[in-house]
Amino acid sequence: YPCDCVGANRPRNDDCEKTYSKGMEVRCSSLLQLKFVFGSCALQALDLVDQHSVTCLTAPSGRKAFQVTGGSGRLYTCFLSCHYCPCPAFAYSVLRRNDGLVCKHILAVYLSQAMAATQQESVSDQQMSLLLSGTMDP
Amino acid sequence: MADILSLVFRTFMSQSDLKKDVKVITPSPTTCSTLVVGDHSLSRSVLLLASVIAAAEMGIKVMFFTQTQIQSLPPSLQRCVPNLSPESLKKIKFSYPRTVEELLQQVASLHEPTNTSPTPPSLIIVDRLESFLSGPGGSSQSGFHPGERSCAAHIAALLCDTAAFLTQVLEQRGSSSAPCRIIASFLSEVNAGGDPSGTDPILDVLDRYFQVRCTLDQDSGYEATAAAVQEVWHIYLSGRGITDPSFTEDYNDRPGVAQEWKLFIFPDGLMEFKLV
Repeated sequence: YPCDCVGANRPRNDDCEKTYSKGMEVRCSSLLQLKFVFGSCALQALDLVDQHSVTCLTAPSGRKAFQVTGGSGRLYTCFLSCHYCPCPAFAYSVLRRNDGLVCKHILAVYLSQAMAATQQESVSDQQMSLLLSGTMDP
Repeated sequence: MADILSLVFRTFMSQSDLKKDVKVITPSPTTCSTLVVGDHSLSRSVLLLASVIAAAEMGIKVMFFTQTQIQSLPPSLQRCVPNLSPESLKKIKFSYPRTVEELLQQVASLHEPTNTSPTPPSLIIVDRLESFLSGPGGSSQSGFHPGERSCAAHIAALLCDTAAFLTQVLEQRGSSSAPCRIIASFLSEVNAGGDPSGTDPILDVLDRYFQVRCTLDQDSGYEATAAAVQEVWHIYLSGRGITDPSFTEDYNDRPGVAQEWKLFIFPDGLMEFKLV
């Protein structure tokens, strides 16, 4: 990232205008805002975006879903219109403790879409059904 | 879904209330998912009434998911739904998944052409969510779902995402049946135990996804005896999805104000709703 504002133990400069360019320019101040709202989840999500971990799956019926490759290599299927992720962090931090709104995978989906970094892939209708139901272990 | 519930209540209103100006909630994306919370047998009757009204009066296709076979329709229907015909009932497709995994698979496959042709469903009903979630697939013993909360979130999110997709399909086809609505019933173990102050973690999870809650609360006073009916119930519509303008006018500082009805159930099984 462009400077040490994010994550470093030094006074934060909210007006830092240094930019980070990877597909599109992102201002350091924007990254700071992201970290303020989402905490450590923000950096982890940005890492996933950098690694091109988010894929939009499309079936012939038109149904879509997002698939995110986690740090361990496991694939997580997330929905388009509402927040759900099968990862343990979503179950614990979001649903159980109400510590956050999203996990890093869901945040990575939003960021990836905003930064035009989402991969595209086609699947069959039946494969989509299996992925949405969680029956097919990606 | 709240608009269909309001239509159900209006259809079965008492004769003396028929002249009252009852505002029906107009469907919007925020009123498309409703959770009916309360007694099993009454919530099942409400769901069946909703499905029949939707199919017979509104002419929309309904998917009804339940674990237990439907043996009969509520007696109220025979008298009060004039357009009840075998043809309109054909618009309701009943499905009996045995486990939460089967329910997930069947809901997940609603986008497939076999389910969207010739028309996609505009109403998806799930009876007794708690019985699906308390089964082997919904418990923490499941290898895929870490726990009941995650399982509840999965099925609720899948229902909402499916409804959003089917709404898109209906709108693309220029159908007047859009949007696709969802109604599910859930009996909280916490409330069933009689402790009004307890919180149900599964209900908390479901509240994230369902915009409207329809609470069924039995009246334990003497009104049943006084009214010569078998049972009296209070029905409250609440939640962030209630956007009735008459409420925002008078209750600007009280978001999610409930719309309240009273239900009288007679010894012969007939039901009559009254706006409070």
